[in-house]
Amino acid sequence: MKIVFRLVLAAALVALGVWLWFVLFPSPEKVIRKRLMGLAHTASFSSNEGNLARLAAAQNLAGFFATNVEININVPGRIQHNFLGRDEIKEAVLGARSTLGGLKVQFPDINITVVPDKQSAVADLTVEARVSGEQDLIVQEMKFTLQKTDGEWLVTRVETVRTLSILHFEPPRFPSIVLT
Amino acid sequence: MPAQKKQAAQTARTPRLPNWLRIALVGRNPKVTLARIVVLTVTCFVVFKFILLPIRIEGGSMLPTYRESSVNLVNRLAYLWHGPQRGDVVGIRLAGFHVMYMKRIIGLPGETVAFVNGHVLIDDKVLDEPYEKYDCDWNLPPVKLDANEYYVVGDNRTMPPQYHTQGVASRDRIIGKLLL
Repeated sequence: MKIVFRLVLAAALVALGVWLWFVLFPSPEKVIRKRLMGLAHTASFSSNEGNLARLAAAQNLAGFFATNVEININVPGRIQHNFLGRDEIKEAVLGARSTLGGLKVQFPDINITVVPDKQSAVADLTVEARVSGEQDLIVQEMKFTLQKTDGEWLVTRVETVRTLSILHFEPPRFPSIVLT
Repeated sequence: MPAQKKQAAQTARTPRLPNWLRIALVGRNPKVTLARIVVLTVTCFVVFKFILLPIRIEGGSMLPTYRESSVNLVNRLAYLWHGPQRGDVVGIRLAGFHVMYMKRIIGLPGETVAFVNGHVLIDDKVLDEPYEKYDCDWNLPPVKLDANEYYVVGDNRTMPPQYHTQGVASRDRIIGKLLL
């Protein structure tokens, strides 16, 4: 009985050690996932927001991105924007927060690939956004490129992934211009 | 007699449930009931996590066939023995399985798909679409599909084509066929 008790105690201690290890030294995937969830949370807002809060939120959101970040958003029929650098992001966030009644952003699926040197990573994710007062949900697959800078994972590039692509337009059989 | 007294005191403290209620709650044999619950839970977990994915439909691009907010199941085993067929309504994954597009397959690998005055042309032949109930005036240039590509589109084509998510889906993005 004593041996069994000791074995159980040893197993519990090992499990606690493993859990503590993962809590104290999380994997890059876990850190990036947490950071992206934070980004989605910071990007969301409700209508009753003061000017100061708006400014602080824009500052916070810009902090998730590298200074030379490049963002290319192309959601057909909805949004088409390119941003370069943190300042442009701040401006866009302030503009959106003052014009939209509210926004809820979520990343329901995140696939992270960390480069072997563990200094950069790519996250393929689904963005789910709901604008207050609009019935339709905005759903878009996007690719985030991240880089570890001073111990912090910063987004360096954001691009739209065309889930349903139209790539192979067949050349017209009868040319519209006939040279004689 | 102290043991008898103890048992009597215990019985007095915990009033016994009526027999019919006990049978209704835990069955005639509690061990068998517990085993049944475990088997049912595991079966439900496996079926609804890996085989039949429950979905809630958002948006009106599949109207009138599928109404908004209705619930359905995506059968992931539908294409185990054969490939997707024309007319199938399928789930198309984005970055993961939590959010997916629901569209109808109209073009199969190797075919050329075009829209002329709202009619779908497959290799220059008009496709009969009994599920298409609304008027459509789309004109889209021909798209040649590769070996593992399918052309997918919603049933509701009343909006301009740029506002309707549609296009070419590769085979690996099609996760299953709608069950109901």
